[in-house]
Amino acid sequence: MTSLRRYLQPLVSPPVFDFWASRFSPAASWDRVLAKVVARRVESRDAVTLELRANRHFKGLRPGQHVNVTAEVGGARLTRSYSPSLLSADGRRLSITVRQVDGGKLSTQLCQNAQVGDVVELGAAFGDMTWTDTAPGSRLLLAAGSGITPMISLIRSAVTTGTALDVDLVYWARRRDELCFVDELRDLATRMPGLRCHFVLTRETELRDGEHAGRPNQELLLRLVPDLAHRQVFACGPDGFVETVRELLATRVAQFHSESFTPRTVLAAATGTVRVELTRSRRTFEIPAGMPLLAALESQGLRPAYGCRMGLCNTCACGKSAGSTQNVVDGSTDAEPTSALRICVNRAASDLILDL
Amino acid sequence: MACATKSLSPATLEAFGAELDALRARTVAKIGSEDARYIRRVVKVQRYFEVAGRVLLFASIFPPAWLLGTLLLGLAKILDNMEIGHNVMHGQYDWMRDPHLNGKTYEWDIAGTGDNWRKTHNFKHHTYTNVRGMDDDIGYGLLRLFPEQRWRPFYLAQPLVAIIFALAFEWGVAIQDLELGKYFAGRKSKAQMRAEWQPVARKMRRQIVKDYVIFPLLAGPFFLPVLAGNFVANIIRNLWTYTVIFCGHFTADVHLFPKSVVDNESRGHWYWRQILGSSNLRGGKLFHVMTGNLSHQIEHHLFPDIPAWRYEAIAREVREICGRYGIPYNTGRMSVQFSQVVWRILRHSLPSRPARLPSVTPLAA
Repeated sequence: MTSLRRYLQPLVSPPVFDFWASRFSPAASWDRVLAKVVARRVESRDAVTLELRANRHFKGLRPGQHVNVTAEVGGARLTRSYSPSLLSADGRRLSITVRQVDGGKLSTQLCQNAQVGDVVELGAAFGDMTWTDTAPGSRLLLAAGSGITPMISLIRSAVTTGTALDVDLVYWARRRDELCFVDELRDLATRMPGLRCHFVLTRETELRDGEHAGRPNQELLLRLVPDLAHRQVFACGPDGFVETVRELLATRVAQFHSESFTPRTVLAAATGTVRVELTRSRRTFEIPAGMPLLAALESQGLRPAYGCRMGLCNTCACGKSAGSTQNVVDGSTDAEPTSALRICVNRAASDLILDL
Repeated sequence: MACATKSLSPATLEAFGAELDALRARTVAKIGSEDARYIRRVVKVQRYFEVAGRVLLFASIFPPAWLLGTLLLGLAKILDNMEIGHNVMHGQYDWMRDPHLNGKTYEWDIAGTGDNWRKTHNFKHHTYTNVRGMDDDIGYGLLRLFPEQRWRPFYLAQPLVAIIFALAFEWGVAIQDLELGKYFAGRKSKAQMRAEWQPVARKMRRQIVKDYVIFPLLAGPFFLPVLAGNFVANIIRNLWTYTVIFCGHFTADVHLFPKSVVDNESRGHWYWRQILGSSNLRGGKLFHVMTGNLSHQIEHHLFPDIPAWRYEAIAREVREICGRYGIPYNTGRMSVQFSQVVWRILRHSLPSRPARLPSVTPLAA
C-alpha cells in the first residue's frame, strides 16, 4: 500500500482525490486526517461528547495529550484543542468532550450543531500531560471545567490497560450540573481501590456525598490530600485556576505539571506601537506592542493560520527574519531570527519582519 | 492613453476613496457561508465537467462524443483557471482556511505555475496596473498596444504574433516571469535563469505528461482522438482566457500611466487609477461565471480579494459612485470591447504617437 502510494504520488492531485473519495466515504482523504462523528451524547448541562472515527492517517495519541480539532463555522474553518479519550486499541476511535463556552464559535457549533455523519479534521497529537511509568510517587490530578478531559483520558487508559492506580482527582466546577463524567468517575472509584475522586463546587449551596465547597486553597487541599508534599501534581483548567494552584503548590510538591486553556494577558504592559513588515503578503502594519502578534494582526483584518492559541501546537508558527519578541506566557525574550515564531503567544518587543 | 478626464482635487479623491472603502467594508462584512457554498459548488461543477469530458473522449469512436468531450474539458479548464484558480490565488477564499482553497498554495490546470502567477499577476499587475515599465501585462513584452511603447520593426508582424500568442497563451503566461528579454540582453545571469527555469519546466512537463501522454495512453486504441481532444480543449481555454484578459485592460479608452504615478500614491488615487486602467464586459450570469467574473474587471481591480461572485452586486454601486465623481466607467459587450482590442493590435503594429493632450493626472492644476 505504501509503495503503491509512492508510485502514484506524482500522478495524484490531493484536492481532486479528496473530492472524489469523499463522494464515497466522507472521511476519506489522500493525506489529511479526517474523522467522522459516529455518536453524540449530552454529558452535562453545557457539555457534549462526540465519538469520532478517524481515517487511517491518524497517528494516534497518548492519554492526556491534545489534538487540534477543526470544523467549519459559517464557511470558515476554526481550530481548537481538545483532549480526546481513546476508545479503541488501534487509536482510531476516540471521543472528545466539548464544553460550550459563552460566545465560543466552535464549541457552540460542536455542542449544538454537530451531528452523526459530520466530518472534522484532526491535527497531530501534542502536549506533555502524560504519565510516564518511571516517575515516582502517587499522583494528584487537579481539574477545573474542561480541564477534566485530559484527566479522564488518563484514568480511562489506566483502567483499560489494568495499570494499578494511586491517584486523587480533585475536580472543580461552579455547579453540580456542570460536572462531566460524574457517574463514570464514581463508579470507577468504587471499583478501583487506588482511585479517589473529590468534587468541589463553588456555587452550590447543598452538598452531597463526596462533594466539597470552596475555591482552591491550601486548607482544602491538605484536608483532601494530607500527603500533598509527596505528590506528582497535574493541573489543567482555565488560566486563573492553573495560576492559583501553581502558586499554592509548585514549590511544595514533588513535581508540578500544568496546562491552561487561554493565553494569559500581558502582565508587563508594553506601551506604544511597532512596525511589523509581512514579507509574503507584502504589507506593513503599525500594531500595539503589548498585544500577542496573532491577535494584533487579526485586529488589522489579517487571518494568519492558528491552532491552540496558547503556544503549544505550532500551527501559527512563522519565520521571523528580524526583530525581538517576548513570550507573553513565560516572559522570555528572543532577539534571534527564527523559522518558527509562535505568534499567538509572542508580542513584538521591537519592529519585526515576519514571513507571513 | 491620455484623454480628457476630469481632474479631481486631492480632497475629492479622498472622499471618493472613502466611499469605496465604505463599500468594501459593507461587502466584507457579508462574506461567510454563502461564499463558501458558492465556491464549493463551482468546484463541484468543474470536477464533474472534467470527468465527463475525459470519459466522453475515451468513447470518441463516436464523433459527437469527441466533440462534446472536448467542449466539456475545455469548459472545465476555463472554470478551473478563472472562477476557481485565479480567484482563489487572489486569496478571495483564504478566510475559509481550507487547505484546498489556500491562495498561497493553490495550483491550477495550466502550464504556468501558481507561484509565478502570484508574483506577476497578484503583486506586479494588481499593484502597478497599467503603469508603464512596472506592469508586465502591458503587451506581455511581446505586443505593442499603446503608442507610448516604443515602436520597432518587429511589431509589423504583430497581427500574426498576436494570433500565435492567443493560441499558445498558457505557454506565454508560463514563461512570463522568466523575463527572457532580460536574459538575452545580458541583464540576467545564466545561473539565475537556470534556477528560475526549473520549477517552470517541472510544471510544463506535468501538464504535457498529463494531457498528451497519460490520458491518451489510458484510452488505449483511442490514443490519438484523446490527445487531439485534450489539445483542442487547451486551445479553447487559451483563446477564451486571452480574449477576456485583453478586454480587461486593452480596450480603446483605458489609460496608461507613467512610473511617477505610484510615488506617494493616495488610496483614492490608487482606486482612481484602477478604474481608468480597466474595462468591464456586459453579459448574463453564466457569462460572468465563465469569465471568472473578470467581466467585472473594474470591481476586481478595486477589491481583488473579495469573492468575485460578489462583484456583480458591487458594480451597481461602483458605477453610481463613478458617475457622481465624473470618472469614466468603461463597460460594453464583448464583441465591442474585443474589436477595440483588435484595433489596438493592428493600429499600434505601425508607428503611432500618443495624442497630444495634457498628461493624465487627477490633480487639478
